[in-house]
Amino acid sequence: MYDKKRFYLSIFWIVLGIVLMALSMAEIMDSSMYSGLGGGLIAVGVLQTIRHLKYNRNPKYREKIDTEISDERNRFLRMKSWSWAGYIAILVEGVGVIVAMLLGQETIQMVLGYSVCLLLCAYWISYMVLSRKY
Amino acid sequence: MKNRIEEIRNSRGIRQEEFAKLMGVSRQTISSLDNGRYNPSILLAYKIAKYFDLMIEEVFIFEEA
Repeated sequence: MYDKKRFYLSIFWIVLGIVLMALSMAEIMDSSMYSGLGGGLIAVGVLQTIRHLKYNRNPKYREKIDTEISDERNRFLRMKSWSWAGYIAILVEGVGVIVAMLLGQETIQMVLGYSVCLLLCAYWISYMVLSRKY
Repeated sequence: MKNRIEEIRNSRGIRQEEFAKLMGVSRQTISSLDNGRYNPSILLAYKIAKYFDLMIEEVFIFEEA
C-alpha cells in the first residue's frame, strides 16, 4: 500500500534539496532562503526514505502503516480535519481582510481577499465535481 | 447510534487489539466504536455483524432523534 511512487518522490526531494543547496553555496542563487529550503527538503526526503526502508524490512511496521492508511476512522478524521482547516482558513482570512482594511493595508487586504475567493472557488468546483461523481 | 459491540466482544472473550486485526481497522477505531463516539460505515457494520454471526440491527441500535 505504501507504494514506490512515495519512495521516488523522497529521492526527488533529496536531489532537489542538494541542487538548491549547491546553487546557493555556489552563489548562483544568492539567497539563504534557498539553502534553508534545500536543507528542509533533504531532511524530509531522508526521513521518508528511512520510513520506506523500514516499511519494506519490518513486517510488523508494514502491517501498522497499512492499517493506519486504510483505517476508515483515520480517513474520516483526515477528511474532517481538511474540512475544519478550510473553514478556519476562510474565517481567519475574512477577519484579516477587515483588519487590513481598517489599518489601511491595501496590498494585504487584496491578497487575503483573493485568497478567500480562491478558497471559495475551489470549494464550489469541488462540490460540482463530487456531486456528479456521487 | 448505540451499539453492543463491547458487550458481544467481551462475552466472546475477544480483546480490542485482536478484534481490530480481524476487522482490518486500528485499535483506536474499535475503542471509539465501543464508546459510541464513532459510527462505522455500512461496510464495517456489515463485517462486524457477520463476524458475530448476527444481524446488523442486533449489533447496532438505531434511535430516531
